[in-house]
Amino acid sequence: MPSSRPRLRVVARREFVPTPLREEAARALAIDIDFAVVDSLDGLRRVVTAPESFDVYHQWHTVDLIWTSRAIRPITLDRLTCAAELSALAHPPLDAQAPPTVTGKLFVQPDGELGPRPSDRVSMLPVLRGIDAFAYQPALRDLIGPDAPESWGWLFDDRLSGRVGLLSDPVLGMIEAALATEASQGVAFGDIGNLAIEEIDHVADTLIQLKKRGHFRGVWSNYEEAARLMQRGALIQSMFTPGATRLRREKMEVAVANPVEGGRGWHSDLCLSAAADGETLDAAYAYLNWWAGGWPGACLSRQGYYAFLPERARAFLSPSEWDYWYEGLPAATALPDPFGLPAIPAGHLREGGSYAARMARVRVWNTFMDEHGYLVRRWREFLEA
Amino acid sequence: MSTRETPALGKGYYELVRTVLAENIRTGRIPPGTRLYTAAVADRLGLSPSPVRRALDGLAAEGILAVHPQQGYVVGIALPEASPGRENLHRLDLDLSLLETGRSTPLAPRWETILEEVEGAVLRTIPFGTFQISEAGLCEHFGVSRTISREVLARLNGQGLIEKSRSSHWIVGPLSARTLDEMHEMRRLLEPQALCGAAPRLEPGVLTAMAQELERLCAGGGRGDSTEIDAIETALHRDLIAACRNRRMITTIHGLQVAHVVDALFRAHIGVHDVGAIIDEHRMVVLHLLGRDAEGAAQALRRHLDLDHQRVRARLKVLSIFDAPNDLPYLIRIH
Repeated sequence: MPSSRPRLRVVARREFVPTPLREEAARALAIDIDFAVVDSLDGLRRVVTAPESFDVYHQWHTVDLIWTSRAIRPITLDRLTCAAELSALAHPPLDAQAPPTVTGKLFVQPDGELGPRPSDRVSMLPVLRGIDAFAYQPALRDLIGPDAPESWGWLFDDRLSGRVGLLSDPVLGMIEAALATEASQGVAFGDIGNLAIEEIDHVADTLIQLKKRGHFRGVWSNYEEAARLMQRGALIQSMFTPGATRLRREKMEVAVANPVEGGRGWHSDLCLSAAADGETLDAAYAYLNWWAGGWPGACLSRQGYYAFLPERARAFLSPSEWDYWYEGLPAATALPDPFGLPAIPAGHLREGGSYAARMARVRVWNTFMDEHGYLVRRWREFLEA
Repeated sequence: MSTRETPALGKGYYELVRTVLAENIRTGRIPPGTRLYTAAVADRLGLSPSPVRRALDGLAAEGILAVHPQQGYVVGIALPEASPGRENLHRLDLDLSLLETGRSTPLAPRWETILEEVEGAVLRTIPFGTFQISEAGLCEHFGVSRTISREVLARLNGQGLIEKSRSSHWIVGPLSARTLDEMHEMRRLLEPQALCGAAPRLEPGVLTAMAQELERLCAGGGRGDSTEIDAIETALHRDLIAACRNRRMITTIHGLQVAHVVDALFRAHIGVHDVGAIIDEHRMVVLHLLGRDAEGAAQALRRHLDLDHQRVRARLKVLSIFDAPNDLPYLIRIH
């Protein structure tokens, strides 16, 4: 008896699952996939409170929370086609670019918590990584000077008042604002990835004061909004690389900064719902292995992301794509974005250089800080000021 | 330092006093003909005079007491031959158990029951941010006077749960990871010490019952419902150490047990998960106590507190993505 096609429910941000990727997944896997595209915290809230409402979660920097909530189940390494590469993350010599937020929380330990010691079960399948900073229009140089080194301090620079945009997410936003506070005020925080209460207050007070003076043009919550904000006149703003790629596709001149203080690193990973089992669990593993296969990582490389395992994506990229996105060489031809539309003009050179050079510039990784509960309330105060 | 000494006694408390006196008269512990003076009765019961006066008036109105022509009251009918002298009430063997139950009685003084409710609401709210607690809001919500709401706020201030802002508003929260760290640092010193103090005074029957309950939960696969988890945590962290004679230490420890509130909120939002680790840690404590090894029990308790602290910190982080139900008119969100 032919059974109906298995169904899979996936929760993800829009940056991780553009339409061409969703269509290819359905085609390649012969399963029906419902993508719930949620850019806000609602996705995370749904995941931790209702594990039965999803099967796969594209998480980023939330693994602490969803594991503590037991919203996800361990992934059996044996069932992954990239098990060897994942296990290798735990063995010396450590991959210099392996984010500590992956290696420290990857393996399920005997006591049921997450840790770096290798085991046969992992919390997540890392699939993407990247480094973000801000982007700006060339006209900014008229105000700042042609030779001033790119700095996070620009975000708080009075000369740019009224022309600055930020992202609305509290985790990412507070990290970027802390980098800007350090650079513009000449202060140094103890651990910019884990701010203390007083440091959070310092950054939040700075943000609120700037906002009241009319410093910010707006905030955005996904890459499409980011692109629109810059088109509407923000001269400098937080930026996700897909947003910059979108602007380039639309022929807008925009520079992605490689700030002297370093950038904000991130990774995105696939997790299995605690409630998934039977045929659904099989379909979920098929989806994970499809990601491990390299096609999705190649697709998203065309918007500026890196496949967590680059060599697996390489097979699905043309040599000129690989050279531009991963090697930091000038584009040999015009290159397409994930939608197949020409985005990168021939001859363009990616800011920051190669994969290795750019990822080496990570100053701080996205993470829920210890005082996130406090941070998020102060961040909301800023947004509502 | 009975909380009953305060003058701010509300309506209702005198009814409890009336009941206690009526019962003692009915059973003959206060014999007919006993002369009762307000001050003497208040002294015997360890209460302030005003609820006692009201209670005596009430008993007189009911005919249980007679008003003495000169001063005070007489139990029963005021016969001319009734004992004219002043009775030493401390010689009477009274049943005061109703008064001993203190806080749990629904007839506790008005501010005290309100304090308990507000304290609970504050603790359940501070993991979700910073709030202003409004004196006027308290008055309106509970239908009480400013005097009573001020008493409640003064007590909360004494417990370190609220503080005054620069603009003179009472502020509660937020509960930070640092607060949890600080409370844990103190608790891991005090609570094992209190357990050592309690150990010689614990009844083996109670410990055996605790051990059996833990075995039962363990046999259930380390899964318990929220009530069961609450029950074993209360049994260990409240009931057992209550046998320690150092009341000052016990009171301090109670004020440090905010971790339990975080746990309860986490269970309410997320549900109960594997509690095998908690059960194992509790068993270690109880088994040491059954083996009369107080020092070992204290160590096991410290280990449980340390491990639980890590869990609670992680859970507080999860709560950061939720909002408190903002349905209490006396708590106003600041951020």
